[in-house]
Amino acid sequence: MTALASGRPSTGAAAANESSLPGRVAATIAAAKAAPIAAASAAPFGTGLIADGADAPFSPVRRATLDTRDAFPDAECAVLDASGVAAAYVPAALGGADGGLPLLVDTLRTVSGEDLTVAVAHVKTFLGGVSVWVSGHPDQQQHLAKLILDGAVVSWGLTERERGSDLLSGQLSATPNPGGGWRLDGEKWLINNATRARLICVLARTSPAGGPRGFSVFLVDKHSLSPGTWRCLPAEPTHGIRGADISGIAFAGAEVAADALIGPVGSGIETVLLGLQLTRIACVSLSLGAGDHALRLALELAGHLELHGTPQLRLPHVRRALGRAGASLALAETAATMAARCAHALPGEASVVSSIAKACVPILIQEMIAELADILGASAFRTDGPDHGAFEKLERDHRIVPIFDGSTPVCRNALFNQFPTLVDAHRAGRVADAGLSIAADPAAPLPDLDTAALSLVSRTGCSVVQALPGAVQRLAARAGTHGGAAARMLGLAQRLSSLTDEVTTRMAGIRPSARSVPAEAFALARRYELCFAGAAAIHRWLAQPTASTGGLRLEAALGRAIQLLDPGQAEPADVLAADLLTAPVAAGAGAR
Amino acid sequence: MTGSLTGPGQATAASPVSELERLLGDATVPGNAVGNATILAADERCETLAEGERLLGRSGFNAHWVPAELGGRFHRLDGLIEVIRTVYRRDPALGLGYGAGSFIAAVNVWAAGSPRQRADLATLLLRGGRAACSYRALAGGDGRGGTSLVAFPTPGGRGRLLTGRAEWIVNPRHADALVLFARTDSAPGERSHSQLLVHRSFLLGAHARHLGRARLAGMRGVGFGGVEFAACPIPDSAVVGVLGGGTETALRSSALARIALTGMTCGLLDTALRTALRCLAGRRLYGGTAADLPLTRTVLAEAFADLILADAFTVVAARAVHTAPARALTYAAAVKALVPRVLIDALDRLSGLLGSQFYLRTGRYAIFQKLLRDALSSASEPAPRTTSLADLLPQLPLAARGGWSQPDAEPLAEQTFRLGADLPGLRYDALSAAASGDDPLARSLAADADRLRPDSDDRLEHAVASRARACLQELARLAADCSALPTPYLAPTAPAHVFDLAERWTGVLATAACLGLWRCNGGEGDEFIGDPVWPLAALHRLDAHLGRHHDPLPEELAARLHTELTRREEAGLTFDLACHPTSA
Repeated sequence: MTALASGRPSTGAAAANESSLPGRVAATIAAAKAAPIAAASAAPFGTGLIADGADAPFSPVRRATLDTRDAFPDAECAVLDASGVAAAYVPAALGGADGGLPLLVDTLRTVSGEDLTVAVAHVKTFLGGVSVWVSGHPDQQQHLAKLILDGAVVSWGLTERERGSDLLSGQLSATPNPGGGWRLDGEKWLINNATRARLICVLARTSPAGGPRGFSVFLVDKHSLSPGTWRCLPAEPTHGIRGADISGIAFAGAEVAADALIGPVGSGIETVLLGLQLTRIACVSLSLGAGDHALRLALELAGHLELHGTPQLRLPHVRRALGRAGASLALAETAATMAARCAHALPGEASVVSSIAKACVPILIQEMIAELADILGASAFRTDGPDHGAFEKLERDHRIVPIFDGSTPVCRNALFNQFPTLVDAHRAGRVADAGLSIAADPAAPLPDLDTAALSLVSRTGCSVVQALPGAVQRLAARAGTHGGAAARMLGLAQRLSSLTDEVTTRMAGIRPSARSVPAEAFALARRYELCFAGAAAIHRWLAQPTASTGGLRLEAALGRAIQLLDPGQAEPADVLAADLLTAPVAAGAGAR
Repeated sequence: MTGSLTGPGQATAASPVSELERLLGDATVPGNAVGNATILAADERCETLAEGERLLGRSGFNAHWVPAELGGRFHRLDGLIEVIRTVYRRDPALGLGYGAGSFIAAVNVWAAGSPRQRADLATLLLRGGRAACSYRALAGGDGRGGTSLVAFPTPGGRGRLLTGRAEWIVNPRHADALVLFARTDSAPGERSHSQLLVHRSFLLGAHARHLGRARLAGMRGVGFGGVEFAACPIPDSAVVGVLGGGTETALRSSALARIALTGMTCGLLDTALRTALRCLAGRRLYGGTAADLPLTRTVLAEAFADLILADAFTVVAARAVHTAPARALTYAAAVKALVPRVLIDALDRLSGLLGSQFYLRTGRYAIFQKLLRDALSSASEPAPRTTSLADLLPQLPLAARGGWSQPDAEPLAEQTFRLGADLPGLRYDALSAAASGDDPLARSLAADADRLRPDSDDRLEHAVASRARACLQELARLAADCSALPTPYLAPTAPAHVFDLAERWTGVLATAACLGLWRCNGGEGDEFIGDPVWPLAALHRLDAHLGRHHDPLPEELAARLHTELTRREEAGLTFDLACHPTSA
C-alpha cells in the first residue's frame, strides 16, 4: 500500500514511523491481530465470547461478531490501553505525549482505520478530560492526568433526553450543600461510556434560571458516590457503533465534594464550548480513518467484481469514482491537519476552525463512502461478503460522526454567527502571518496548546482563508520561475480565490439572526468550509513546494474542493487522482 | 374488477390501496401485529414479518400480479406499483419478499409462457402460492451473485439436465415455482438461453440443494438465497415458451421489474419523511420546535420534492410501458439509473436533520433507521447503479441522430401523463430489446414548451414553461455531443465522460415526465397536482442530483411545499402524487 492511498503525511513534529505514538499503536494492533485472545475477558464489559484462535482482536471475523451482538470491544480497548494511546489524551505538560492535537488526530486515525466502534469507545476519555484541561486548576489537572495515564475511562455528560444539543435547556442540577460540596439531581442520556467510565464530567445547572452563566462543570468520580444516589441508565441499541456503550447516568441527591467543581461557578457553558473546540478537531480523525478503511475495502470488493466480462477496477468510470474518493480523502485530511495545527499556532481562531473542520470533514467522508457504495452495488451492504461486512458496518458507524459532538447543522450555525467577522477580516486581508506559517508547515515545531488563548469568538477571523490572495501571489512568483506543478497549482488557486471572494460577498449579504437562520446560511457555511480546505492545501503546498508525491496529493485535494464548489468545472486533477490514487493500491488490494 | 385506479387524491373506499391500508392498520399503535414495533422486532431477528405475509395471503393480494385475463387484478403497471407501494410504506422487506418477488418472477411467464404455463402459474398464485426467480446479469469473478445454470438435453433426448448455481433469489425456500435463467444451447449467440419454470418438488430431490442465505444490512426480513443443481432432470415442458427465448424474455421482464421495484421504493421514503416530520414537530429546541427552523423546513421540503420527482419519473415510465412499449427497456434503465440515488439522498439529508434521534434502534422513530438500511440494501440490483447507465450508452448516438433531432417525431401519447386514465393493454411482445432512435418522452417536451399555460399571469407557471424550453435546448446540446460517439464508447469500458452523457439523458427524461404530468393533470381547482410549485421544486432537486449545484430549495418553493407536507401529514395522506389516505 503506497503512502498515497493510505494518505498519512505527518502532521506534527512526530513523523509517522515506529517510534511515534501512531506507529507504536499500529504495531501493537498488528501484533494483536496475529495473536489469539489468551482468555475470555473477566472485565464487567466482557463479551463472554470464548477465546478462539480465529478471533484475534481487530480481526474481521471478531469485529463482525461483536457488531452483530452489540457487544463491547473489550479486548480491542485493552490492546489500545497497552499501546499507550491514552498519552495522547493528556497534555504534554501533565505527562502526556508530545505532539498535541496533531498527534492525537494521527493516532486516532490509525485506530479508526481499523474499527470506528473501538475508536469512539476509546477516544471518549479525551472528551471527558478536556473540560479539566481548559478550566481545571493544576491539582485537578494533575490528578486526572494520572488517572487517565493509568487507564481510567472518563466520560463527558452534556446531553439530556428530549433536549438534543440545546445545552442551555439542561435540567440536571447541582445544588450547593451548606457544609460544602454539591448535590446532583437529574440525568444525562445518550452518553458514550456513561456506564463503563469510572469518571464523568457533567454539565449541571447551578442557577435555577439557567442562561449562559447558569451552568457549571463537575468531574464526578463514581468511586466517591454513595450507593443509592446514582445509577446508570440502560444502554441504547444504536444503528451503528453498535458495540459502544451509549447509555446514561442518573443522580438522585448524589453528593460530590467541593473540588469536583471544575472552573468557577457559572463557567460551565464557556468551559464546554472551549472544550468542544478541541474535541471537534480531534474527532474528525474518526472520519479520516473511516475514509482510509473505506477506500481499502472498496478496492478489495471491487477487485472481486466483474461486470460484462471486465474486471470492475479496469472500467474508466469506476476508476474516476475511485479517484474522486481518493481526492475527497486527501481534501479531508488536509483540512483536518491544518485545523489541528491551527489550534496550537492560532488558538484565537480555534472557534472558527473547529466548526469548519467538524462540519466539513465528516460530510466529505460520508459522501465519499456513499459514492464508493454506489460503484460496488449490493456487495457494499452484504454482512457476509469477503470483507465480513466491514464496509456496511463502517457505513453505519461513520454516520455518528457528522451527528455527535456538534452536528453539522450546529457547527454551521456557529460559523454563521461569525460571518460578520469573517467577512470583515477577509476584506481587510488580515492574516496572522507567524501563526499561519507554523500551521502550514508540517516541519515547523508546534507551540504547546495554550488553552488560555482559546476564545469563544475569533477576533481575527480565519487566517487560512484570509491569506489566500497572498498565497496566490507567492504561487505566481514560483510558477514564473519553476513552471510545472507550480503553474498548475496557480491556476487552481486563482480559481479558488475568486470563488472565495464570491462566497464572502454572499456571506456579507445575510443578516445575522439568533433564531431564524435561513437555509442559505448553511449552504454558505458549507462553501466557506470548502474554501478553507482548499486554502489549506495551497498553504501546505507552499510550505514544501518540492515534495513530489505529497504535492500531487495536495493538488488533487485542491481540485476536489473547487469541483465541490463549482460543479460545472472541468476536473484538472481528475485523471491525475485516478491514476495516482488507485493504480498502486489496486496492485496491493487484498494484501491486507 | 377494481383494478383501475383513480386520479390523484380521488382514492375511493373500495380501491385496492385503501383496502390494504385498512388491513394494515395504524402503524404507530403498539398492539398492531403489522405495526412498527412488530416490524422492528422482526428486523432485529432477521425474520420475515410472518403476520404480514399471512395478512396479505388472506386478502388475496396475489391477484395483483396475475393478469386480469387470467383471473387476476393486474392490467396496468402503475396500478401494480401503487398497490405494492402501499406495502412498502409499511415494510419494504414484506413488499419485496412477499409481493414484488413473485411479480418479477411471474412476469417472465406472462411475457413468454405457453397458454398452459400461464394458466397454471395463475392458478398457483391465485391460490396463495409464490414464485421466485434468479437474477441474470451479474457475474462475479468468484461466482458471487451470478447465475451459471446450464440445462442441456439428456443423452436420451427427452428432458434436460439442470446443473449449476443461481443466486440472489428472493425467498427461494418459500417459492412454489422458480423461474430460472439457464444456458440451453452450448453455441454462442442470443438464442442460447432459456427461462425454465421449475416447481418446488424439483428442489426436494438429491439433485438440488438450497444455498445459504445471503445477508444484507437491510431488507433483513427477506431471505435472499440461491439454489444449486447437479444434473437435475427436468422435463422439456419446463422451458418457458420457445426454446432460446430466454435472453429476450429476461430483458423484457427486467424492464418491468426495474420500473416496478423502483416505483414501489418511493413508499419507503414516504414513511421515512412522515416519521421525520413527526419527530421534528415534537422536538423542542431553542424555545420553539425543531420544525420551526428554516433549515428544517427547507430540508423537509426538499425531501418531499425528491419523492415527487421519483414518483413522477417512475409513474410516467410505468404508464409508458403501455403506450410506448418499444422504449420500455430504455426508460426502465433511465429510471433505475436515477431514482434510487434520489431516494437515498433524501433519506441521508433527513437523517442529518434527525440527528441522534435517527441513530436509535428503539423509540418512537426507530423505524427510520430500518428504512434507511432497507433503501441502501435494495438500491442495487445487485449490480451497481452504473450498470443501468451502461445499458443506455448504445442508444445515445441513435437517439441523437433520431428522435432528439427530429422536431416532428412522435411524442408520448397524452393519456400516458393523465394519472388514473385507462391505458392500452400490456403487449409483452412489443417490449423491444432492439435499439432505435425514438424517444417519445423527450419529444413531449416540445408540447410542454408550446402549450404550458400561455395565458397565465402566474410567474411560476412561466418559470415552468422556461424550464421546458431550457430542457429542449439541453436536448439539442446532448444530441450534438452524442451523435458522433464511436462504437468503443458505447460499451461499459467507455470513458467516464460518456457515462455523464447518459446521465444527462436521464435528466432530460425525468424533466419531461414532471412537465408532462403537470401539464396534463389538474388545471381546475386548487389541487396540488396543478400547482407549478411541485415541478419547479422537483426540477431544482433534479439539478442537484445531477451534480449541477448544491443550493437549497428557494425559500418560496420550500415554504409552499412545507405547508402542503404538514397538511398531508395531519390529514393522514401520502406524499406521492396520488395523495392517498394512509395509516402509516
